[in-house]
Amino acid sequence: MARVRVIGPKRDLVRAIEELHTLEALHLDVVGTAVGTGLASVPEDHGRDRHRGELSLLLVELDALLSLVTRPDRPTPVGGDQVPGSIDASAMRSAIAPTVHEVEARVRELEELEAEAVILPRYVQPLRQLLPLVPWLADLSDHDLALLRLDTAALVLNLENDTVLSRLRAEVAAELGERFELVATAVDENTVGCVLVFPHDAGDVVSGLLGREHVRHVALPVRYSKLSLKGAIEAMEKRVRALPAAIQEAQAAVRALVSPHAAQWQLYRTAAAAELEQLDAIRLLRTTDRAYVMEGWLPRNETGRFREELEQRLGGHVVVEESKPARDDRCVPVLLRNARLVRPFEALAQFLDVPRSASLDPSLVMAVFMPLMFGIMVGDIGYGVILLVLGLYARRRFAHGARVLRDISFVLVAGAAWSLVFGVLFGEFFGDLGKRLLGYDWAVWMYRPGAQALEPLLLFAIAIGVVHVVLGLLLGMWQSARFRESRTLLDRLGTLLVIAGLFVVAGVAADHLPETAMTPAVAVAIVGLVLVLSLHGAMGLMVGPLELLGALGNILSYLRLAAVGLASAYLAIVANELALAGPIWLGIIVGTLFHTLNLALAGFSPMVQALRLHYVECSSKFFEGGGTPFHPFGERHTTGTGPSRMVEQIT
Amino acid sequence: MDIGTGLVAIGAGLAVGLAALGSGYAQGRIGAAAIGAIAEKPEMTGRAILLVAIPETLVILGFAIAAMTILLL
Repeated sequence: MARVRVIGPKRDLVRAIEELHTLEALHLDVVGTAVGTGLASVPEDHGRDRHRGELSLLLVELDALLSLVTRPDRPTPVGGDQVPGSIDASAMRSAIAPTVHEVEARVRELEELEAEAVILPRYVQPLRQLLPLVPWLADLSDHDLALLRLDTAALVLNLENDTVLSRLRAEVAAELGERFELVATAVDENTVGCVLVFPHDAGDVVSGLLGREHVRHVALPVRYSKLSLKGAIEAMEKRVRALPAAIQEAQAAVRALVSPHAAQWQLYRTAAAAELEQLDAIRLLRTTDRAYVMEGWLPRNETGRFREELEQRLGGHVVVEESKPARDDRCVPVLLRNARLVRPFEALAQFLDVPRSASLDPSLVMAVFMPLMFGIMVGDIGYGVILLVLGLYARRRFAHGARVLRDISFVLVAGAAWSLVFGVLFGEFFGDLGKRLLGYDWAVWMYRPGAQALEPLLLFAIAIGVVHVVLGLLLGMWQSARFRESRTLLDRLGTLLVIAGLFVVAGVAADHLPETAMTPAVAVAIVGLVLVLSLHGAMGLMVGPLELLGALGNILSYLRLAAVGLASAYLAIVANELALAGPIWLGIIVGTLFHTLNLALAGFSPMVQALRLHYVECSSKFFEGGGTPFHPFGERHTTGTGPSRMVEQIT
Repeated sequence: MDIGTGLVAIGAGLAVGLAALGSGYAQGRIGAAAIGAIAEKPEMTGRAILLVAIPETLVILGFAIAAMTILLL
């Protein structure tokens, strides 16, 4: 990255900001105001602040409106070319106002319908339960009840304690004597459904009772409160059935109202957002009496093209200066650039954090090791083929979708390819199905679930761990040397020496290495240990051994490659055993079910485990986070991926 | 199968099983907190995966002990 300073006459300031915005190239940064330079912030302007407030409000309104349009109908955000000099936010708000009022009314209707769809079934259930308790009442029509001069009240009581119902009964009895019937049934733990039948002339008394605060009740919606029990239930059920169609109709009405304006509103949004970004940029730049100064960051190989482009656009009235930042400058934004095959791993690497400027990007290490580890854990031709097909389908399906989905599908394809390789090495096809069908062990290397395979499998996992962790330590040492961090460099060297020494000692103890290697190995381990202990001063006696134990634990952690793989292989074998235990039709169903479960686990678990091994065990040896992502001024997320338009042109 | 082999198998099972219990307990608590953090800050997803996956080392070490029990005894 290069630090770029743009200087021009003050009269061109607005135009310069607009041109920089359309270029989508420069990551703007605040200009320093060193004493004596005469640079000062642009003075506060109330008009500008008011304009900013209006734009923010307009953006919120437009975002809310556009969110009502379903994705296929939503217009694609337009690029950064339509950057106006100054937009009239008030005029835009006035233009959308009539539709906004109409949309608000429709949305309110929709929300009421959705609330009704949630609430109404809660009434129907208790009333349905009450119906058998008062069969004589259920058979009476509304007209019959009127002739008998009886009224009913259906209630759903939210009980705070057990005494509420008895208190309600006592209070009604105190007012009406024996001239009422109250039946109740528990709906759930805290709810009781009730029906109260009472003389028509006692309507006011009952209303008064139910209105008292100490009887907490949920009255039926007004439109059902005058109906008989049976009538209310039937009306409510009819309404519940009708609600989905009504909601769909209301949603369609909202969409029909918004869709014709969506394209225009998207243009408004783009213009307002662009204007707002430019207003915010004014806070970063500095001016003198006659000149403006802007500063920012740009990939170093793009500064020449940037200078030419800006000079051309501003008629030569601009000076672009370039300077090289210090290596340890943590303010430099970070733009990851990797080969096409490595790029999908960038998103995974940045899940953890954005690497610090000038530090190592773990994407390449992830690109090499992550699919390999995935393949070791899955290690089955059958699962590998299915995952490969799923991954290829996902890549095609999300070809124009979110970048992270495309990246993950690529990782899945790469992992599935390694699964096929290790499937051949381990001789697994849906567990032992291939072995059963062929009648012999066709593993090129070893059949994982076999009794003899455990030891080599564990050693293989540890070997992968040693390579991965040592690679992490070597990268960390190289990085420490670049940053001239001698203590960190020696610390990592000490850890490396101890690990190397201990593994040689283990190799000699297991008779895999000659005994003559024992003495040098012990010496190397002791040198490493002393190095680590001495670097931590007085705390070294405590911190040093803990760090070394952590490093050894990191390597042992790679045993999960064997553990997860074995679990997957055994689950596949169990699926086959169960499938063969019963009739063939049942076997096919059971086998398919278990293999699908195993496949789902195989697609998810190895991915998470491989990620963890990178984040915790390897990247922790060299990764330095805390970087600021490179965001060019005016960058539009029209494609959702890739470098900005200017950067794309340049490269 | 003699009693000794059976005891070795039980020991191996206990090594993995008890480690898995501890790992599961820790992961449950970390997972709940991590989901809360992700709900507030989606950019924490990577760190959440990392934090949730950290206690798994316990069960892997349990697996290592179980494997050593089977291989060495």
